[in-house]
Amino acid sequence: MVTRTILVAALAAIASAAVSGGVSAQSFTQAAPGKQLFDAHCVDCHGVNGTGDEAPAINHPLGADDAALHKIIRDGTPDGRMPRVRRMTEEEVDQLVAYVRVLSRGPNTPVAGNADSGRAVYQRLNCATCHVIGGQGGVLGPDLTRVGQRRAAGYLRQAVLEPGKVKPKGSTNILLNGFSEYLPVSVVERDGREVRGIRVNEDSFTIQVRDSAGTLYSFRKTDVQNVDKQFGRSLMPGYKDKLSAAETDDLVAYLASLGAAK
Amino acid sequence: MSTHPFRFAAICVSLLLALSPPSLGQNVPYQRLVQAPATPNDWLTYSGNYTSQRYSALTQINKQNVKNLRPAWMYQIKKPGVFEASPVVADGVMYISEPPSTITALDVRTGRPLWTWTPPIPDNVIVIGSPPVNRGVAILDDMVFAGSIAGHLAALDAKTGVLRWDIVVDDNRKGYYLTLAPLALNGKIIVGVSGAEAGIRGFIAAYDPKTGKQLWRTYTIPGPGEPGRETWGTATAAEIGGSSTWLTGSFDPQLNTLYWVTGNPGPDYDGDVRQGDNLYTCSVLALDPDTGKLKWHFQFTPHDVHDWDSNQIPVLFDDTINGRPRKLLAVANRNAFYYVIDRETGEFLSGTPYAKQTWADGLDAKGRPRVKPGNDPTVDGKQVWPNLQGSANWYSPSYSPQTKLFYQFTREMSTIYYKGQAKYTTGQPYTAGGGTAVNGDDAYAAIRALEATTGKLKWEFKLLQPGMDGVLSTAGGLVFSGTEEGNFFALDADTGKPLWDMQLGGPIHANPISFGVDGKQYVAIPAGWTMYVFGVP
Repeated sequence: MVTRTILVAALAAIASAAVSGGVSAQSFTQAAPGKQLFDAHCVDCHGVNGTGDEAPAINHPLGADDAALHKIIRDGTPDGRMPRVRRMTEEEVDQLVAYVRVLSRGPNTPVAGNADSGRAVYQRLNCATCHVIGGQGGVLGPDLTRVGQRRAAGYLRQAVLEPGKVKPKGSTNILLNGFSEYLPVSVVERDGREVRGIRVNEDSFTIQVRDSAGTLYSFRKTDVQNVDKQFGRSLMPGYKDKLSAAETDDLVAYLASLGAAK
Repeated sequence: MSTHPFRFAAICVSLLLALSPPSLGQNVPYQRLVQAPATPNDWLTYSGNYTSQRYSALTQINKQNVKNLRPAWMYQIKKPGVFEASPVVADGVMYISEPPSTITALDVRTGRPLWTWTPPIPDNVIVIGSPPVNRGVAILDDMVFAGSIAGHLAALDAKTGVLRWDIVVDDNRKGYYLTLAPLALNGKIIVGVSGAEAGIRGFIAAYDPKTGKQLWRTYTIPGPGEPGRETWGTATAAEIGGSSTWLTGSFDPQLNTLYWVTGNPGPDYDGDVRQGDNLYTCSVLALDPDTGKLKWHFQFTPHDVHDWDSNQIPVLFDDTINGRPRKLLAVANRNAFYYVIDRETGEFLSGTPYAKQTWADGLDAKGRPRVKPGNDPTVDGKQVWPNLQGSANWYSPSYSPQTKLFYQFTREMSTIYYKGQAKYTTGQPYTAGGGTAVNGDDAYAAIRALEATTGKLKWEFKLLQPGMDGVLSTAGGLVFSGTEEGNFFALDADTGKPLWDMQLGGPIHANPISFGVDGKQYVAIPAGWTMYVFGVP
């Protein structure tokens, strides 16, 4: 059957996001015990690899610690939309927690650089113009305060070098169900004026856009000439040819250290 | 069932002018259910009436004034959950179900609760295959009937909510549970069950409305020695093969035939363990409501391996095809084909894709799909259209006798299907795989208006994302539906032009209805955790 209707807030509670490219497609039910449990109990609603279907993506759980995620999986979400897991031991729930964490961060890769040197690279590139760390910085791009907890080093490296290729999907509870975040859009109004920025939100009748100055625009789609969604692009410049290998390693090491367990 | 549109309009105008006194006395005998199309101030069954057309003959809200539509009242459910109820309205009272299985009666004039009833739900209740939801109630005489996720069926006093009886439909510990609105017939309450993802053996059953005594039970997987049992390969496969019956059916009083749809075989994604067509999964069954005996069946997706339940509303209407008047049944199936069937005989008349599909080279002369090889789920994943949730799902379409169009919320989306292995354990998931949805900006939806007798597209109105949103059409020339993002909107039923919309602040996974009271027409829709009722000033 499976109407699997929307467990939207079901996961707004535990999930803030799906990571595009975090985990490549995997064969079904191989490897880790946590994956086997996930494939047996969770894919029905949340999809293989947790990328979401009618239920939200869960490959980026919000829970700051594993105990919180364990409790939600064991007991269900407080809003009742996700039922508790039946007949699973505490050990099995822990295995499930571990697998969901892997889904969220992407494959683990070694971090070669020096985090302190990477902080200097971050400052030299003026990354804080668009990104927040510890409450300081611009808001056009994602908040990086705890990005080391949420993303593995491989993902961070690609995000620095070719940001258009690893843009997150569904990593907030604003636009769920796999939509691209920080999507560049161009809206041409009826009088020919153009607004460029990122998509903040959208529904079937309206779209909300924030430009590089932080100004918010709200459009009814029937009131504009054109809405151009620029998939595969990012407002963030890529640093593939602008950083040395050592600088890249250092910057990745710095980002990976943000919010990571000590 | 064909009714001249002008006659409908005359009926509704006269009904609206006849102001009903603000009494709240419920008595809905069977004859009122039969005559429901002619009494559009009420909404007496899950889909409005036995035809399941989800069409309102009321005209007060129309193309000219729908731009003035605004909320009349709202009711917030008492416990958060997925709110999929389709209300029943009778004599000034709206009956809704709140997740997971609470029943509440509301004053339709104000939204104030009149009574509410919550059945005991065990902490260890087993709900595998859907969220813990309830889609509505049935009313017959002075009682309201509702299922529960605990696998029970209850009868409540319509005036007070007092429990008259409560029976076990089947054992929840084996995975049986109820999400559907029952269907009330003459001296019978019909229900189906959920639970295919837990390895149940599906059935449809009739109960005595006065006592709760089971009158008949018809399994949707044949028993030993019965025709069709051979389509399962092994006896074990058949006994745990799913074929659940979790959506309210339709009824033709003149033909005395009950139409009910069935779900997927299990395990969902591994067909190797259930060789054959797996009758009567993914089918529509025509039953004698007095005995439960099968009159005919039509299987949409033989040997399904993509979880394409056929739990979509079977819509009944009459029309002429090739010069011959026909009594018809139409289904926009989860497998992306739109089917037209003669409901007297079960004869397949036509079937055409109404959404993108990559699994079949059309249908043969008898309506059987010509399946393309290589589209079954694999260990490494195989991308196929439509999506695991289908081009359609449980949410209702609408048929307008006025336009003779079939309106369908259509999901354009694919899934990467994975095949696994499943070992049956009582009360545990039994699916053998799953899917990765290709969603977000790579998917969309549309309200599509199909010529009801052919499935030919007349118009479409595109929407941002595939949701679970039913459609209501009205004699006011309107089509109402909703979106996953929370928009509720009205389109011109002839052209698809948008005429009105409002953001309701929560996802809509429900079916709109319309009713009238005190000379005013209203439209109702659940969104998020709120029931909204709209009217024009």
